[in-house]
Amino acid sequence: MSQYVLELKGITKTFPGVKALNNVHFQLGPGEIHALMGENGAGKSTFIKVITGVHAPDEGEIFLNGQKVEFKNPKDAQKMGIAAIYQHVTCYPDLSVTENIFMGHEKIQKGTKRILWKEMHAEAKELLDQLGANFDPKTLMGALSVAQQQIVEIAKALSTNAKIIIMDEPTAALTKRESEELYRITEQLRDRGASIIFISHRFEDMYRLASRVTVFRDAKYIGSWGVREISNEDLIVAMVGREITQLFPKKPARVGEELLRVDKLGKTGYFEDISFSLRKGEILGLTGLVGAGRTEVCQSIFGILPHDKGSVYLEGKEIKVKGPLEAMELGIGYLPEDRQKQGLVLEWGIGKNITLPAIGKYSKKGWLNEKEEAEVAKSLSEKVNVKANSIFDLASSLSGGNQQKVVVAKLLTADLKVIILDEPTKGVDVGAKSAIHEIMSDLACQGYGVIMVSSEMPEVLGMCDRIAVMREGRITAILNRDEATQETILEAAMASKAEAAAV
Amino acid sequence: MNARNIVAKKEFNWKSFFLQWEWLLVCIFILINVINTSLSPYYLDPKRLLDATMTFLDKAFIVFPMVFILILGDIDISVSSTVALSAVVMAVSYNSGVPMEIAMVICLLVGTICGLINGLLIVKFKELSAVIVTLSTMIIYRGIAYIILEDQASGKFPAWYKFLGWGYVGGVPFILIAFAIFAAIFGLLLHKTTFGRRAYAMGNNITASRFSGIQVDKIKVIIFTLAGTMSAVTALFLTSRMGSTRPNVASGYELDVIAMAVLGGISTSGGKGRMLGAIISVFLIGLLRYGLGLKNIPAQVLLIIIGLLLIFAVMIPNLKFNIGKTRKAQ
Repeated sequence: MSQYVLELKGITKTFPGVKALNNVHFQLGPGEIHALMGENGAGKSTFIKVITGVHAPDEGEIFLNGQKVEFKNPKDAQKMGIAAIYQHVTCYPDLSVTENIFMGHEKIQKGTKRILWKEMHAEAKELLDQLGANFDPKTLMGALSVAQQQIVEIAKALSTNAKIIIMDEPTAALTKRESEELYRITEQLRDRGASIIFISHRFEDMYRLASRVTVFRDAKYIGSWGVREISNEDLIVAMVGREITQLFPKKPARVGEELLRVDKLGKTGYFEDISFSLRKGEILGLTGLVGAGRTEVCQSIFGILPHDKGSVYLEGKEIKVKGPLEAMELGIGYLPEDRQKQGLVLEWGIGKNITLPAIGKYSKKGWLNEKEEAEVAKSLSEKVNVKANSIFDLASSLSGGNQQKVVVAKLLTADLKVIILDEPTKGVDVGAKSAIHEIMSDLACQGYGVIMVSSEMPEVLGMCDRIAVMREGRITAILNRDEATQETILEAAMASKAEAAAV
Repeated sequence: MNARNIVAKKEFNWKSFFLQWEWLLVCIFILINVINTSLSPYYLDPKRLLDATMTFLDKAFIVFPMVFILILGDIDISVSSTVALSAVVMAVSYNSGVPMEIAMVICLLVGTICGLINGLLIVKFKELSAVIVTLSTMIIYRGIAYIILEDQASGKFPAWYKFLGWGYVGGVPFILIAFAIFAAIFGLLLHKTTFGRRAYAMGNNITASRFSGIQVDKIKVIIFTLAGTMSAVTALFLTSRMGSTRPNVASGYELDVIAMAVLGGISTSGGKGRMLGAIISVFLIGLLRYGLGLKNIPAQVLLIIIGLLLIFAVMIPNLKFNIGKTRKAQ
């Protein structure tokens, strides 16, 4: 019996033109939570696909409990007790929780082939209870929050008796509190004897959960360490292959006169009584739990979600924005939360993506001027430092971080005064993250007013001049940079309803 | 991590140039002509070929806006009913004393309004898909045409009106010239203007388009309105060729038109395809029909051939994709 439940030796996987994995090793001990880290494009996703049997490796061997195995397809891996939970939950929103859990391995009466609904609901309920979830298994999947859907995915893994569970950035879409819940469940799984591979961009996750960490970079194995043996700086160097001197390179910007003022803004059912102001050269953080109404406030200012109460003033004049086009013409830009669905035309080259919002500017009376367009696209993509060879590279071919840079470049085509960034670094690797922060800081220095929505505490604390905290559709605190701490923000974001009523 | 130089000039690549859908269409087009020529010695006569275009170009005017609609990822199946309604209103107006010129303008107006109604319904009621809306208006428009004219014909147009469908300018059929002009207008609109670029963006990702400040509703309404207007143009030519009109004219045109666009490489899921492909496929299907007609091959055979071509057209891009995938997986 080997000391490892799962061991991979010398795995190499080549796709046409790309070496996705180059002689990679990995060892997973029993009852261990093992963090796998690396920048986007480091090969983590391919590695998971090798473990789960989606891709067969070109070279190398896989051992399960010391036995050499070969997976011909994902079903093989599933039978051996390997399950994966992905970053973007892959569920059937119109089916019930039970159906989602048992998809592909439904309980069926022998002979009649009747589906045993009662038994399935009961077992689903039991699994959910074990995980501490309090929703009914008959609920439709689509009615659940992302965090709850993730719990269902975990229940699904348990229902197949998985002994090795791979979690691919499960906390990316979760709030702090939801992440805590996930940590608890993950530890519970470990205590029951499962081994877990935990992939995340958040150091917080790793420190909180993992006992060991393995780092990949550029498709290569860099090393494995005990989490307590390696310092944060060394880990970053291992991941990016260079030192990032400052994770949040905020440069001091000259804060000028008031640019934007929001007065008692409200939208029934979404947010209420929102007032704040933004000055030139200022970065205003908008934080709080996911679902607190931050995105809705921003989209309301941008004209996507019209507000029904209150008013917005730009440079002292009241503005009534009817749609994104008007907002952009007035000088308000918005970087949406979901870059793939809301930000990019994935099948297009990055050039055409960048010029899309301002295509009218690069045309004469409606006729396209492709030459000027190409020049603008080139200079902007160089400005935000997109890692691409030409402006015709498809947006879908870029890593998450570089896609986000393209979306940022889109904003820069318009003549803006106010830039609203909604979770600009969500799911982005460390290198691209600091690049985006640098761009943000530069924008503030150039006199733009920047609003950044973010759930990530260090980012908010590091980048923002002032921080507005939202809870349940209201602003509960606006903190200056010097008075903001992790604690004061959390307090404002999470105080209970009763307390809020007492204020 | 230093700022890299990003290439802004597209390199010409022979392989990708010839791997375009249009080349395959050209090959099929040539093949059809070769077969037609060998079947009938009269086929290649230039005068006859030019005349042949008059027989199939009437519906082709609707192909242009249909390309836009498919690129949006929508569909319009009410166009044939719009043709009928605008033709019927024109004929009835003329026969109740309205001058022919005004009747023709009325025809265009009726078509435009039909298209506008489609567009507004689709935009205002987001829960209704374009198929449902245009299926309903298809029935309604045709129904109104029947109420106006009942089941009879209306015609006796002035002699000069015949020119539209039967006339020549310098030996070339007028309808072919009109087709060429509209082809140029719509081709440029799709490929060389911001309007076309925005339509492509909407077909690929409507949410990202909205966030990019594109007035998606406005563009959609304009495109559906254009479909109505061009249906009325078809009504003008069709009525001229037939000399009279009935409420049941142009039945099935919507499917012919969609078939031409799809065979031309316009994806029904939106965002892909070019005007040139649709134009080639108009002639491809038209000449196929003409050639088989010369040999007295029944129309049903033609339908089967068009059906097979369509399946082929939809299958080929998928095949290409699958080949690429298996190569990756190896």
